[in-house]
Amino acid sequence: MTESNDAPKPKGRGGKMKEAAKGVFYGMAAHGHVTAALRTRMYLEHLFMFITLGDMLGVPVIPPYYSLKILPYAVPNIKSWKQRVFRERDFTDQVF
Amino acid sequence: MVDILSTPFLWVVVTIGLYGVAYWGYGKWIDRNVWRSSAKKATPAHMYMDGVEYFPVSRYVLWGYQFKSIAALGPILGPFIGITFGWLPALLWIIGGNFFIGWLQDYGAMMLSVRKEGRSFGPITYEFTGARGRTNLLAFVLFYLIIISATFIALIASFWNAFPGTFVATVGILLAGLLCGQLLYRVKMNVFAVTGIGLAVVVLSIYLGVAFPITLGFGVWNIPIWAFVAAVILYAAAVLPTPMFVQPTNYLAFYPAYAAILLILFGALMTPFWGASFLGLTLPRAPTPISIQMPAGPFWFDPQGILGPIWPILFVAIACGAISGWHSLVSSSSSAKQLDIETDALPVGGGAMLSEGLLALASLIAYMVLAPSFFVGRTNVAAWVAGAVTLTTPFLGGLTAPILTTFFGLVLIIYALTVQALVTRFFRLVAAESWSEGRFHVFGNKHVSTVVGLGIPWAFAVSGSWWALWLYFGGANQLLAGLAIMLITIHLARTRAPTRFSLIPGVFMIVTTLAALVWQTGTFLYSVWAYLNNDNSWVLRNVRPPINTKDYILVAVAINAVFVAVGTVLFAVGLSMAVRLFRSYRSSMAERRARAPAAADGGERER
Repeated sequence: MTESNDAPKPKGRGGKMKEAAKGVFYGMAAHGHVTAALRTRMYLEHLFMFITLGDMLGVPVIPPYYSLKILPYAVPNIKSWKQRVFRERDFTDQVF
Repeated sequence: MVDILSTPFLWVVVTIGLYGVAYWGYGKWIDRNVWRSSAKKATPAHMYMDGVEYFPVSRYVLWGYQFKSIAALGPILGPFIGITFGWLPALLWIIGGNFFIGWLQDYGAMMLSVRKEGRSFGPITYEFTGARGRTNLLAFVLFYLIIISATFIALIASFWNAFPGTFVATVGILLAGLLCGQLLYRVKMNVFAVTGIGLAVVVLSIYLGVAFPITLGFGVWNIPIWAFVAAVILYAAAVLPTPMFVQPTNYLAFYPAYAAILLILFGALMTPFWGASFLGLTLPRAPTPISIQMPAGPFWFDPQGILGPIWPILFVAIACGAISGWHSLVSSSSSAKQLDIETDALPVGGGAMLSEGLLALASLIAYMVLAPSFFVGRTNVAAWVAGAVTLTTPFLGGLTAPILTTFFGLVLIIYALTVQALVTRFFRLVAAESWSEGRFHVFGNKHVSTVVGLGIPWAFAVSGSWWALWLYFGGANQLLAGLAIMLITIHLARTRAPTRFSLIPGVFMIVTTLAALVWQTGTFLYSVWAYLNNDNSWVLRNVRPPINTKDYILVAVAINAVFVAVGTVLFAVGLSMAVRLFRSYRSSMAERRARAPAAADGGERER
């Protein structure tokens, strides 16, 4: 199987309008819910990372043996986890 | 013959035109010359992309999200009170307020957050005014949320009471939301199929609502009971996981809510043309001619002698359609974190606000075509529905009046209920932030804080007149807007950008809203004073049945006194916040002048 090198066709005015209408509709109907779902997942991930890699914070929640076993699965998330955990949070962030 | 001048058509066209000038003229100018937005500057969505809170989103998606987040009951019911002073001043405020202040605040709040690395207003307030300023903001927001909740609970109860078919329809939407949540997240059904099923249940529930209207038989106690039912539903919405209840319900509610606004605007634009012939095609005739029936005004004082003078009351009565502080929280809370490029802030923040102005316009028009008798005593909250039915009957005539009434009544409830569910959740989170530690930690508990966050508003809702609550809500909301504009102005001062375009609106909003709070608090205070001088009429006028009788006079006096306390606290906290912001602005300007290159020395001081 070969990869196609064809560049995507530039959209005409009709295509752009259709894309804009789809975007507006999605934004009104679903974007907030998708963001909320992502945020819920984020908090669950924080919990998971804290349990598995609590040693990094000086809080050994589970024995290091299990932490090491889970480490390969947790490593890809460490960077974004640190970034989110260290970020300043405020009650005004919770409006939506 | 097509009669354009006596119908709302002309005013719809004029308003849309002026909003166009606000966006493409004034808006673009501010964007270029004050904020100097650049598509090349990295936004927080790119700098801190984590795929959860920070990620770039198309401007169309973000516009839809922003508009949906800010559009609620404010622009619908505000004009009901605002039209007291004549429809012309109300229209001028909807146009002028949005033109010079409203969009500027939403857009400015978004740009401020973008320039401050996506931070929301709490940390920005802390940076500009210190720890006390932030605590001040927290206290103000807590009171603000209680007042919003009281107003919306009172209105939901009034709507259920006024439209007997709407309760079954509301329950239908809530059940449809629950069902859709299960189908989406448990059964993993396709979202289009789920939407189809959900909307079918919504339509069915409207028909069931018409077929089985529910009227409580408790007389004057109906409203307190309906308010309690609303509080129970909101409690469930606040404590249950959002994917289970709030999310799918809000998703389904979106369809009828926005369909209603489009239908009203279409109806308003078509008013002069019903019954006219074009190219051999005759349009349907309206059952009764639709024309503007309300007086244009202006009336400098409320002709019914209840509300007071046009300034400041009109400017807080029509809140969200002209300007709203809630929007600044939304703009800086999530939209700013997902802005792809800086230049998108104008269409997303400013564009969404100007579109909300159209929502206020649609509502004002629905009131303009009604007879003045609808507004006597200002207790007929059903007026919007009557106006909406009048405007849409010519082209939706196939649907009977009870169905249209139930549909538009349901739309009002949806707007109130969906936003109030979010407000209650937000109150819970703010309470957890405030009281999770220390002596009052019990109030940080999610159930306790939710009960408190609904119990106090319920007590206000069943005791105070809704218009009295509305003016407090408007005052607090607009004051928050003024404070947000001052934060924007301080930032502009610190970055050496022109400040007068935001300083003047900010000062105007703060002075106006503080004056409105003083007036409203003074009204309650005068009522208590009048009671002490053997005049019961004022005290009884400010409360709702059954308390507005001589049997409950002491309760009525106590409620008036509580409202004096609420108004005083709102005023004091707002004034304190305003003083801090003005001080911060003054010191920013002094610092800016000290650092500015002086023309005489060729900029030596700057170097």
